[in-house]
Parts: sequence; structure tokens; C-alpha cells
Amino acid sequence: MTNAVLAAPIESPRRVGLFRPGTLLPQVPMFVWLAILVLLPNVLLIGVSFLKSVGGNVVFDPTIENYARAFQSSGVWWLLLRTIAVAALSTTIAAVIAYPMAYYAARILQRGRFMALLLVIIPLWISLLMRIFAWRVILGEKGVLNTFLLQMGFISQPSSAFLYNSVAVFLTFVYVAIPFIFIAVYSAIERIPQDLVEAANDCGASRWKSFQTVIWPLSKPGLAIGLSLAFLMAVGDYITPSMVGGLNGTMLGMVIASQFGIAGNWPYGSALAVILLVAVSIVLLLVFRFSRVPGILVGEGGGGSAVRAKPMSFAGKLKAYGAFLLFCLPYAFLYAPLILIALFSFNTATVQVLPLEGLTLHWYQEVLNNAALLAALNRSLLVGLCVLAISVIAGTGFAILFAYGKVAGAKWLESLLTLPVAIPGVVLGITLVLVFQLLSVPVGIWRLVLGHSTFVMPVVMMTVLARLRRLDPALVEASSDLGARYGSTLWNVILPLARSSIIGGALLGFTLSVDEVVVSQFLTGTQPTLPVWVWNQMRFGFTPSVNAIFVCIGLLSIVLTLIARQFLETNKKAA
Amino acid sequence: MNSNSPDEAIITFKDVVKRYPGAATPALDVKSFSINRGEFFSILGPSGSGKTTALRLIAGFEHADSGRIFIGDQDVTDVPPYRRDINTVFQSYALFPHYTMQENVAYPLKMAGVRAEERKKRVNEALEMVAMEKMADRFPHQVSGGQRQRVALARAFVGRPKVLLLDEPLSALDLNLRQQMQHVLVDLQRKIGITFVYVTHDQGEALSMSSRVAVVNGGRIQQLDTPSNIYYEPTSRFVAQFIGKSNLVSANVKYENGEPLATVCGEQFPLPGAKRDGPVNLGIRFESLTVTPGGERRPNEIALPGQVSDVLFLGHTCEVKVRCRDQEFIAFAPAYKDGNLRHDQEVLVSFKPSDCVLFDD
Repeated sequence: MTNAVLAAPIESPRRVGLFRPGTLLPQVPMFVWLAILVLLPNVLLIGVSFLKSVGGNVVFDPTIENYARAFQSSGVWWLLLRTIAVAALSTTIAAVIAYPMAYYAARILQRGRFMALLLVIIPLWISLLMRIFAWRVILGEKGVLNTFLLQMGFISQPSSAFLYNSVAVFLTFVYVAIPFIFIAVYSAIERIPQDLVEAANDCGASRWKSFQTVIWPLSKPGLAIGLSLAFLMAVGDYITPSMVGGLNGTMLGMVIASQFGIAGNWPYGSALAVILLVAVSIVLLLVFRFSRVPGILVGEGGGGSAVRAKPMSFAGKLKAYGAFLLFCLPYAFLYAPLILIALFSFNTATVQVLPLEGLTLHWYQEVLNNAALLAALNRSLLVGLCVLAISVIAGTGFAILFAYGKVAGAKWLESLLTLPVAIPGVVLGITLVLVFQLLSVPVGIWRLVLGHSTFVMPVVMMTVLARLRRLDPALVEASSDLGARYGSTLWNVILPLARSSIIGGALLGFTLSVDEVVVSQFLTGTQPTLPVWVWNQMRFGFTPSVNAIFVCIGLLSIVLTLIARQFLETNKKAA
Repeated sequence: MNSNSPDEAIITFKDVVKRYPGAATPALDVKSFSINRGEFFSILGPSGSGKTTALRLIAGFEHADSGRIFIGDQDVTDVPPYRRDINTVFQSYALFPHYTMQENVAYPLKMAGVRAEERKKRVNEALEMVAMEKMADRFPHQVSGGQRQRVALARAFVGRPKVLLLDEPLSALDLNLRQQMQHVLVDLQRKIGITFVYVTHDQGEALSMSSRVAVVNGGRIQQLDTPSNIYYEPTSRFVAQFIGKSNLVSANVKYENGEPLATVCGEQFPLPGAKRDGPVNLGIRFESLTVTPGGERRPNEIALPGQVSDVLFLGHTCEVKVRCRDQEFIAFAPAYKDGNLRHDQEVLVSFKPSDCVLFDD
């Protein structure tokens, strides 16, 4: 009791209601969303895992047979263990690379911080599939790595040791994880006020000591978020293993997906999914347990790098250049596959091997003539825009509701709504199939739009909510004090102030939707989105036009971001 | 108690210049001056005057472009902050959010390698001195601003540094709390005998607590003296106007029989400090002027006839604005429940010539 009183913050921010007191009506859409798109799918998954499959059909006959089968199979245990181990280890290695990078960018780099950040984000816009595919091109028997080693004389004949095994899967996961961990850690370190570091120095802590006692504990929560995101992506991924893993690189996700495909045993697949979900939850709980830091960093801003206090000696300069080179190294790792994609898009040969045969723009022309590709692109954009509309409206609405609506149990509801982000892709795909089947949502665009919205909406909601929580609560009071009704306060005060966060969340969400392949594969039916179409191409005959279209998409997204940034900057100046 | 002579220098600046990249004028450009052991030294100036830069140079967060800084006899210009025997109370307090009050105060002792037992004892002592022992286990976000401030203070002095630097530590507190804290600070400084270097823009704080004050403006020290000398004998227009309330009076000086005579609004009086003929600026404090309703002239005082143009009632006193020919004077006059001076009333403004301060600029 006394402890609870002691722990209560002295100045808890007041939140004046933006809604008419006493009415629960605005909360209804949120609960409907929660029930249909979040809770029902998971309940169904657990339910189906206790049913039987007879000849490919689900039969209502409660049983624990599926779990018994899974627990008795040493193959499943082995696969689960390996899946978790590969995901955890690759995520850890990625953190070992990304953390120092983020620290350097946020604290030591004196200029060009935005560029450093942008250069890490850009690879995320190039389709995940393409990046994975590029790794296949690098690691394959006729791949870049083999060619290089042959020419240098390190090996006498091409080695098949690089591709189709766990190491290739592992490497690709590290590659995919670095940007996520970098962004999470960077934003955490950047927020730490410089005067805390100065205070530590002032109290006698050396540079290393002050890192250990101030920067590290305060950046741990950010690191945990990055680790979890990367871990989830890896653990729920069945695309990467099937592309670069071969037989030895099989992961549990592939087995689960196959139960819903060729094997056609939904109950068993559901049981495996539940097992994976439980294992993942345990890992994530451990991660957050170890990263928990007491206290709250109050106030915003601050941050900034240490001002270089005094002119450097020659040895100091040498060390600084060394550090800078080390900082640049991971960028080479991030960009090598992208450069390959760009190179091959101009190559005359249809096979993706070095050296290039000759230069051509043929593949770019072919993009315009490839009806199937253009249809897939169209579909992706259509789905992306619909997802965007739904997610922005729902996400912004729910964020305003949580920030100003005095919703009982808001914390729990928020976490529940974000749950789909924390479910491995393969499991999320299955749960959505189950719920859409039950509600007989037709296969195709509608399933895709609703399915994508389950994980894009939380992204928009959390971005906007973070912004609203930092706004001065007195603004809403001032607005109503000055005679604004509930609606006009919303329209004139809240929305304009939240605009940049809405745009930011929307852009991020759009990218997520357009690039999604793991969940889409379950929902798309016979009319594929672009990534799914590319995925099929890669398995059944590949055309370099795919390279060309991704070069175009990559360039377009870079240009759009730069324009958006310019726009936001001018806005900031005007304000 | 202290075997060292009272005027032993603990911090010495020698021709220190600090310029920030892109700035036209240096943030700080000072000739030599010293801060003495055991004194309560204030650096007072408006924002952007260079006072915080001076503090950050002493702490070691900034590096001087030229010139040297000494602690005692040791040249510390190139010594990093964590090897200086100096601690800072930050304007933002800079308490570590992930440590309790207790852990925050223990931090410098931990860094110095003090044993756990001894550490615990000294942390408790320090927290008691700032009356925060009951909140030892709370986190920074769980206490109020004033309490955070006190813990920041305890953290800074618990390691018994040679010098304690305070960067506007009271600026975030309300008036009552600020006055309370002023007493705590002065008390503490006497008890622990550490040299305090206190940076502030609040003249009241500087005058009430310090043994010496350096007034800075534009990166330069304008005047360095005791509070009472700064107040009563400002050497420049800037100091006179920044500290307390002063009338700025233009006078004309003329030599007669080798004696300089000043003329203000037609009245003549000797001004021994004047060195040349022509117009000069004089400063007269509000409280050095007396306003009387007409007639009676006081001996040894210069009296200028004028007309009341404005009266502000301040409670314990009135601020009266009087127009005498082409100049305006503001004076403090005692306030009465009734019978105060009225607008347009004819009055005499009188002052002693010795209360006039002659400015160089």
C-alpha cells in the first residue's frame, strides 16, 4: 500500500477528455476491431488445433492428438530448437554489428547523421525477396563469391558450401535484421540527454564507465525492441529458408506453412503454430525481462553528440579514422546485394552470374510489356492504398481515443491491438485464413486488405499515440476554454499537430503492406500481389525484368522520401 | 579552521578565449582572474553573456581556444572532466533516470572506488544534509523539482570536490522554494567549506549569497567585486542598469578654478571624479533620491524642481516618476495609506552629489 503511494509520480499529466463524458459510443469500433481481427483469429487457431483432420477437411471432433503427435516427434522438437536458435543467434550477431553502428551515428558522428540513418533505411524499401534473392546470387555455385574465390586462387573449383544450408539462412537473417536493430537503438541512444553523460564524466566516470552506467542501461529497452522485431521476422519466415536454406536449412515455419498447403492438415498446422507462438513468447519475455530498466527518462529532446572538447592528437585522429572506417563497413554489407540487383537489371544475360555479358535497357522495356507483372503491381498498389486508408482512419481514431478518451484498461487494450505485430508472420497468416474462412470473406483483394490492416493499423496507431502523448495536455483544455466544441478541437488542434506522425506512420505502413509476402501468400489466392508474383517467378522461371522493376521502385521510394522530408522541414520552419 | 591563507587562488583563468564555430564574437574572452579557496563566487550576467561557457570551461566540458586554466597550481586546460576534482550541479539536474536518489548520490563515490560501507555512510550523510533521506529509494521521476534539485546538490558535494559548480540551479523552482534553497546553499557552503562557483542571471541571488561577484556581458567581465561595491559603485552603465534600479542622468561638466562642476537640469554641484569637460553620464539609484512636496530644501543636497508624472504603489513603498525639465527621474518614496504623492504635483527631487556614480562609458 505505502509502496504504491510512493511509486506514484508526483506530477502525473492531466488528460482532459476530448469526448463527451459518459458516452461509450466512440469505443465501439475499437472493440469490434479487437474482437474480429485480433481475438477471434487467435481463438480460432487454438480451437482448430484441438480438432481432427479427415482427408484434408477439418472435422469437429475435439482431441489433443495433434499436440501428442507434435510432442512425440523428435523432428518437430529438433526443428523448433533449430528455428529458435538460428533466429536468436542471427539476431544477436546483427545486434553486435548494429549497436556500435547506431552508437557511432547517434553520438560520435558530427555531421551527416540523417544520411547515416537514411542509408540504413533504404535497403528496407527494396523488396525483402529481392534482397534474399541477391544473396542466392552471391552465394550460389556460379555466384559472385565463388567466382571471386576462384579467381583469387583460394579454391580450385566452385564450392556448394555457401548456399542451401543453415549458414546461408543465418547470414540472410543477419542481413535483414541489421536495419531494424539499428533504427531501434539509434532512436533510443539519440534521446539520451547529453548532460547525463556530462554528469557522469563530472562525477569521475571515464568514457567507458559512462557508457556502461548511462548509455547502455538507457538504450537497453530500445535494443530489446529491435531484437524482438528482428527475432519475430526471422522466426516466422518460411520464405528465406526455402530460398537459400535447402533441405539442411529447413525451419519450423516451412513445415507449418506446408500443413496449410500441400499437406493439407490444418489442425496439425495450427497445433504447431501454437507451439511456435508459445516458444516465441517465452523468448520475448526473457528479452524484455533482461532489458528492463527502472525509472523514466523525463523530458524530451536533449540528445546530440558530444562536442569534441579539444583538438585531437595524431594518434587520436588515426583512431577516429579507424572508427569511421569500421562504421562504414556494415554499409558495404547492406548495399552489396542491392548493387547486384541494379547491375543485373542492365545485364543482357538472363542468368544471374558475373561477369556481366553486356549492357541493355531491354528488361526495363519488358516491364512495360509484361501484363502479369503490371497486373500484380497494380494489385499491390490497390491493396496498399486501401490498407493505408483503413489503417490511417482506424489507427488515428484509436490513438485519439486512447490519448483523450479515458478508456478503462487502455494499456491492455493497446497491447492487444498491437498483438498482430508480435505474432510470427506464418502464424498470423494462418489465423487470418481461419477467421476469413469462418466469416466467408472472398479470397483475393478483400482478404489482403483486411489481413494487412491487422499489422499496419497498430504501426500507425503507435506512431500517432507516441506523438499525442508528448503534446501539452493544456492544449485541449485551452481549445475548449476558448470556446471550441469537441469536434472542432479535434479538427483544429489535435489533427494538425499529429499530422506529421500520421504521414510518417502511413508511409511506413504502406511500405510494409506493399512488400509483405509471408502473410500475403496465405491470403492472395490466384491473383497475386507483386511480391507473391515475384516469389512464384523465382521458383518457376525468373526474368531479369523483376530486377528492373525493383530498381524503379527503389529509386521512386528514395525520391518520395526526400520530397516528404523537404515538405516536412518547410512545414516545421513555417510553424 | 583552514590553514590556507584566505586569498589563496583555487581557480585561475589566464587570457582565456573560447569561440564557438560559426559565431562572430567569442563566447568568452577574459583577462586573468582568480577564484579564491572557500569563497562563494558568483558569475552574473544576462543570457548569452558567456557565464555558462565559463562554468563549462572550469568543469572541462569545453576546451579553451587559447589561454590556460589552473586549479590550484595545476594546469588543467587539457585535463578531461572525470579527472578534475570538481563537481557540477546541472541546470537540468541531470539525475540518472534509472538510478534511485541513493544510487545517484553514490555514483561519484563508486567511480572513485570508495568501499561499499563507507559509501553508504557518506550517501546517508549527504542526503540528510539536503533533507532527502526519506526519499532515498525513489526514482527521479517520482519526486518534485525542488527535491530533484537537492539530490543533484548532494550528488555534487558527496565526493568532497575542491570546487562545486552550480549552473543556475534554482531557475526551475518557484519563488518560495528558491528562497529556501538560497539559505540551504549558503548554510551548506559554510558547513562543508567547499569553494562554490555559482552561475546565475538573477542579481538578487548573486548579491545575497556571494562573497564576490563577477558581472559578465558579451563574453567579458564587466566588473569583479564584492556585492556591496557592485551595487553601490558600479563602474559601467551596464552594471548599474543590470543590478538594482538606477536613473541614468546626463550632465555637463565644466572646470572652474581647476574644480570640475557638473550641471544637471540647471543645478550646479562639484563632481570630483570627472576628468574632462563636456557631457557625461551619471547613475543615481532610485533609493538615493528623495522626493518632497515643494518648498523645503535639505542641506548638502542638490534639489531639482519637477512635476510628478506617475506613481506606482508597490506596497511597502511607491515608485515615483518625476519630470524635471528635459529629464525624468524615478525615486522610491515611502508609501502611506493615504496622503501619497499625486499626479501633476509640484515636487523637489533631491540627492547628495556623493551618491552620484560617474560612468566611464
